[in-house]
Amino acid sequence: MGAVLALLASGCMRPAENRAVRDSKVGRADSGGMSLEVEDGLAAVRSLAAGELTLWGNAPAFTARATLSGDARSDWLVTVRNAMPDAELVAQVEGGEVLAVEALPQALPTVKAWRVGLPAGAKVRFTVAPPDWQAREPFRFVSLADVQEALPRVGDIYARMRQDDSVRFILFSGDLTETGSQEELLEFQSRLEAGSRIPLYATLGNHETFSNDAEAYSALVGRGSQSFVFRNVRFSVVDSSNGTLDPVVEEQLEGWLAASRDGAHVVSMHVPPQDPVGLRGGGFANRAESAGLVGKMAREGVDLTLYGHIHSYYSFTNAGIPAFISGGGGAIPETFDGVGRHYLVVDIGADDGLREVSLVRVD
Amino acid sequence: MVSELPPRSRRAWLMFMWVLIALPPTARAQSAFELLARGPELGGLDVPRATADGVAGEGTPPALASTALFAASEVTAAPGSDSRASASDAPVLGGADVASSAGESAPLSGAPSVMPAPHPAPPGADVLSPGQAPLPPLAPRPSFQVMPVAASVLPGLLFHGLGPWLAGDGHTAKRLFALEGTGLGLIGLGLVPIALTGASRRTIAPLYAVTLAGVSTFGISALANLYAVTSPAFDPGMPPLTLPPLELELGYQYVNDPAFDYSHFVSLGAQARFESLRLEGTARIAPGEGNTQVRLGGGYRLLGNPERALRGSDGSWLDAEAFGLFHRFPTEGFTVAGAEVGLRGRYAMVRVSPALAGSFAEVSLGASFQGYSYMGAVDDGNLHDQLLFTFGYGVWLGRGGPVRGDAMLYYDHRKDGFAGGSRSRAGGVVGSFGLRGRALLTEDWGVAADVQAGGAIVGRLSLIYAVGGEP
Repeated sequence: MGAVLALLASGCMRPAENRAVRDSKVGRADSGGMSLEVEDGLAAVRSLAAGELTLWGNAPAFTARATLSGDARSDWLVTVRNAMPDAELVAQVEGGEVLAVEALPQALPTVKAWRVGLPAGAKVRFTVAPPDWQAREPFRFVSLADVQEALPRVGDIYARMRQDDSVRFILFSGDLTETGSQEELLEFQSRLEAGSRIPLYATLGNHETFSNDAEAYSALVGRGSQSFVFRNVRFSVVDSSNGTLDPVVEEQLEGWLAASRDGAHVVSMHVPPQDPVGLRGGGFANRAESAGLVGKMAREGVDLTLYGHIHSYYSFTNAGIPAFISGGGGAIPETFDGVGRHYLVVDIGADDGLREVSLVRVD
Repeated sequence: MVSELPPRSRRAWLMFMWVLIALPPTARAQSAFELLARGPELGGLDVPRATADGVAGEGTPPALASTALFAASEVTAAPGSDSRASASDAPVLGGADVASSAGESAPLSGAPSVMPAPHPAPPGADVLSPGQAPLPPLAPRPSFQVMPVAASVLPGLLFHGLGPWLAGDGHTAKRLFALEGTGLGLIGLGLVPIALTGASRRTIAPLYAVTLAGVSTFGISALANLYAVTSPAFDPGMPPLTLPPLELELGYQYVNDPAFDYSHFVSLGAQARFESLRLEGTARIAPGEGNTQVRLGGGYRLLGNPERALRGSDGSWLDAEAFGLFHRFPTEGFTVAGAEVGLRGRYAMVRVSPALAGSFAEVSLGASFQGYSYMGAVDDGNLHDQLLFTFGYGVWLGRGGPVRGDAMLYYDHRKDGFAGGSRSRAGGVVGSFGLRGRALLTEDWGVAADVQAGGAIVGRLSLIYAVGGEP
């Protein structure tokens, strides 16, 4: 019996391990005369063929290294979906020369396309970012989670967001769709591109794992755990969809925490380490693990933690860090909470840290 | 019933009844016991060989020795005393009860096939060692059948009365189907509103309680289904007649959790039993890593016999429990401390059906309140509450000899233990599962073992030393 229990448990001890390993492959492709690697996996390669590259951005700014074969085409069409509306492409041959880039007209606010000539056999570094990505001024972003089965109605949320021109992007804390299937994720992305004027950068939720352990998510959206910097504020999203952090992810997070010890840092994940309603227990599977995690984040000076999974709005603290649950994307709402569909608007700055978090009701 | 018998049978029945009435009670009991003594189960080691006035004669069959003992016990009853009352206290009548019940329990369709084995209340505890009290002889029990066992696993885990039903025990089957239905109903009654309310903070507590009550009822009926058809393969255990006033425990605990550096623990424990009060203390210490967990508290028996005087009890009880917890995580840099209160109850499953004699269901419900203290310049003033819930299905080990204990398969909903909750696709909602056993093997020594699987795997093996108690 003990052996049976051990076998059963072994599958539950590191359920997120495969996804953590798979993360390392996001942003890599080799086809059509180009070998591409997106640094830190901040974009997913949607297609790569001779003369044509399409990426799905999962960060406001990212770089990629391309190595072209000797017989590669020289004229390339580079498309980045889910890009910042004012993103620019800089293509630079390693060693110095900045290549000429022609921006193509935009049909959608978050779909950017450029024509660029790439010399065969060269190593080229692409940078996709808005002009102000390294500034230090405060900015505003949106926090949202848990759309799930409310996907057909998600346009209402984007329409509400369009009323505020100052928000730069959406930080999404998991459960984009109900089951995480390829069809659902493609629908999510098409509705996002059609309805939102700003991109959405996400981590996955437990619902994404329902379909082949989130394989479609990795292919279409990107990494479950990643970290990027925008205007000198670090954003780290980690895959907590099984109520735990895989040791690989925790080690990555420790690196990101150390890198932003003295700067502003926002950490987001789907399942909150601690459910403010303890009797419900919607947090991590092991309370000691969650205490260890929030304690670590607090000691490293994290400014804000954002969570999903619980379909309501909660404002609390974990180990003294301001914490918010904003699962107002439309999935079966928590009743009697008087909130309904909602999202958060967060004002933050590199020098000021967290300035303000506002609740915006959609319905 | 009699009027339905044919005339010849009616005459035989009346003759039999007259003989029974004419015989003195002692003779009736002896006859019943001798009848039972021919059964294969009675030849077991459980039956004491010593008579009240000495050792059974050489070559005396154990059953006859027992008979002599019981007869002697009854003979010593005060002249003129109510023989029925005195007999009801005697083990022989425990056997007689079983025997008479066994008549009812002949494998009739829809009737119990196995009768309960209630505790004997032996006459004069000074005659026999409490730790080695005579046992009631077992009633004729159904033979072990492979098919019902196989069916009780698949599809029996879905249809909980299937195993007993295939074994011809309609009574148990009906009870288990009813239990399963109740469990499923409660699950639906709790889970559907939880889903519809989005696990609302306003309603989650009662809905969770209903759901977990359903899960436990369902789980218990599933395991009872399996037990009912496997138990004919062995002699069912029974609750210990008494437990020592103090037990000390020393052991080793292994934890495999990828989220933590610790693995090896020294496990310490102590239990002190008073009248209705039980005090407990445990400590788990990782010598190298420094992780230390200390849990102190106890329980007060609200219903049922105290553990030091279980004689005459079927092993059912209800305790109110309270514990304090201190757990230091030096590597992770925090300490958690808090208190928990709850109710824990054990129910002898023989009350559900005689076929379940020797097994029990155990359920606990409570809440904990804890605070975290973090190392470094970290301030957290939150009080974290937690729902505590366990349920299990177990068996008693031993049948009145020195071996006293139990083993139980269980589910534990708590998330602050070493096993934590299961890291599943539902997040961290589901708790852990385990198998634990605890038994005194001699009057002084015993072992305890526990294997638990949640987000981590935990194994613990301890040596128990019992202090004091009746010789």
